[in-house]
Amino acid sequence: MEPNSASYVPGSCPTRPEPEETGLEFLQFRDEIQRLMTVPPENASSFRALLELPATQAMQLLHSSPHSAAGGGDEHKRHSSSSFTNGNLTFPSNKALIERAAKFSVFAAAAEISPETSSVPSNSSANSDKVKTEPAETDSNPGSSNKTQTQKLAKRKERQKKGKESAKKSKNESREDAEKLPYVHVRARRGQATDSHSLAERISGTALVLDEIINHVQSLQRQVELLSMRLAAVNPRIDFNFDSVFATEGGPLIDGNIPSMVSPLMWPENPFTENRQNFQQQWNFDAVHQPLWGREEENHTFITPENSLFSYDSSANSASLHSNQLKMEL
Amino acid sequence: MRHPSSLKQEFLKKWILGLQRCGFSSKKSTSIMERKKAIKLSADLAMASTRNGTACWSRALIANASRDHESKILAEQILGPESQSLKKASSTMPPVICSRRIRSKKILKRSCSSQVRRVRKIALPQKVLSANSVAKRLVQKRTNILKSLVPGGEYMDDISLIEETLDYIAYLRAQVDVMRFVASATEVVNRNSD
Repeated sequence: MEPNSASYVPGSCPTRPEPEETGLEFLQFRDEIQRLMTVPPENASSFRALLELPATQAMQLLHSSPHSAAGGGDEHKRHSSSSFTNGNLTFPSNKALIERAAKFSVFAAAAEISPETSSVPSNSSANSDKVKTEPAETDSNPGSSNKTQTQKLAKRKERQKKGKESAKKSKNESREDAEKLPYVHVRARRGQATDSHSLAERISGTALVLDEIINHVQSLQRQVELLSMRLAAVNPRIDFNFDSVFATEGGPLIDGNIPSMVSPLMWPENPFTENRQNFQQQWNFDAVHQPLWGREEENHTFITPENSLFSYDSSANSASLHSNQLKMEL
Repeated sequence: MRHPSSLKQEFLKKWILGLQRCGFSSKKSTSIMERKKAIKLSADLAMASTRNGTACWSRALIANASRDHESKILAEQILGPESQSLKKASSTMPPVICSRRIRSKKILKRSCSSQVRRVRKIALPQKVLSANSVAKRLVQKRTNILKSLVPGGEYMDDISLIEETLDYIAYLRAQVDVMRFVASATEVVNRNSD
């Protein structure tokens, strides 16, 4: 069983679910914010003020110029490229963040899953693409990190478009990005556990987890069906020859001809064969099962070779345990 | 949670036992569908009986198997004489528990709902509220699907449903591993003997 660890591996191309990607973005944004924090107070205060504004007021403030935000998307790229050498990144990236927040607060206004909002995530993630590539450029990293970031963002964009809750997810992520930047890998901000937005995020996160669980259970049940069909096709009768199965497979297993999926089970197979030997010993004394075993012995002469084949060194504890279990059942 | 390899041993033991029991009486059933049903049923019952009725899903599985007409006889055959107590427990428990639980849940809901409305009424914009309700509806839909998948899931509340699901997944994995192992082994045997 593989636990789904949320550990963040820098620079890796994620094929993992959302929380890790947002963690990556958290760190990126944290770096950016730290750079912003060292800025002259005027810029920082405007950004912080934006953070502290409740959603509705921020939306009203920024909603007045949504189209200018879209238009400014091109400008600030040029700004940042020009200011790259100056090192004065703060003003354009600040503006970019404000525009992003504006875009995402526009989402908050239309939070229902509607077709029009699905177009907006593409805009926003396009914006976020630009915003993210600029801080990457400002780093002294080569373009490879840039590429990986855009790759990750493209993946996120795709996933957003594919998912049913695309609008909500992008809104949630953006809200996390825009508002929870000082924190790394925190789902709910302090004092906002019951806030409407964080509640909605957590609920949709729960929905995703439930989705995974459902898919897993369905796939396992389907596998059981297929395997039982396969077994039924292979064997001509119901009580198929377990003796021959366990006796003759010992050779191939030791030789290593069996496909790899069987070899991991070689270790548990040792106790299996032990059980079988115990079966035979126990059932020889049991009147109910004697006719059964009598029939089996008529058909196959594998029992004595089986005993000699499987002389595995097993601990006495496990052997006594199995025999105890059998005694309890019979 | 039990160790997976011991789980597999137990499961295999009981499965072999069950298969031999159900093939004991009738030697005529050669159709593939019947064989498949018998194999699957014995595997399921073996799974469920290894749990010894300590998990709700195992009881529900046995109860469903014994309730279903076509598999009832087979199931009784497979389970055999030692499982009388198990069958009794599985038949009586789920309906009683579910009705009791549902009644208590209704009472609780009625008492709480009157209070909850007065506690917090922040003036949220309408669209934010609907976002919450949409998300809740999604979760509710998925929970219903999960309830339909896990045997005996309809009678449980969310938290115990998740626990039962985890348990059920562990057992399903063990079952799939063992079945795959046996299937490939028999295929190898057949290939070698041909």
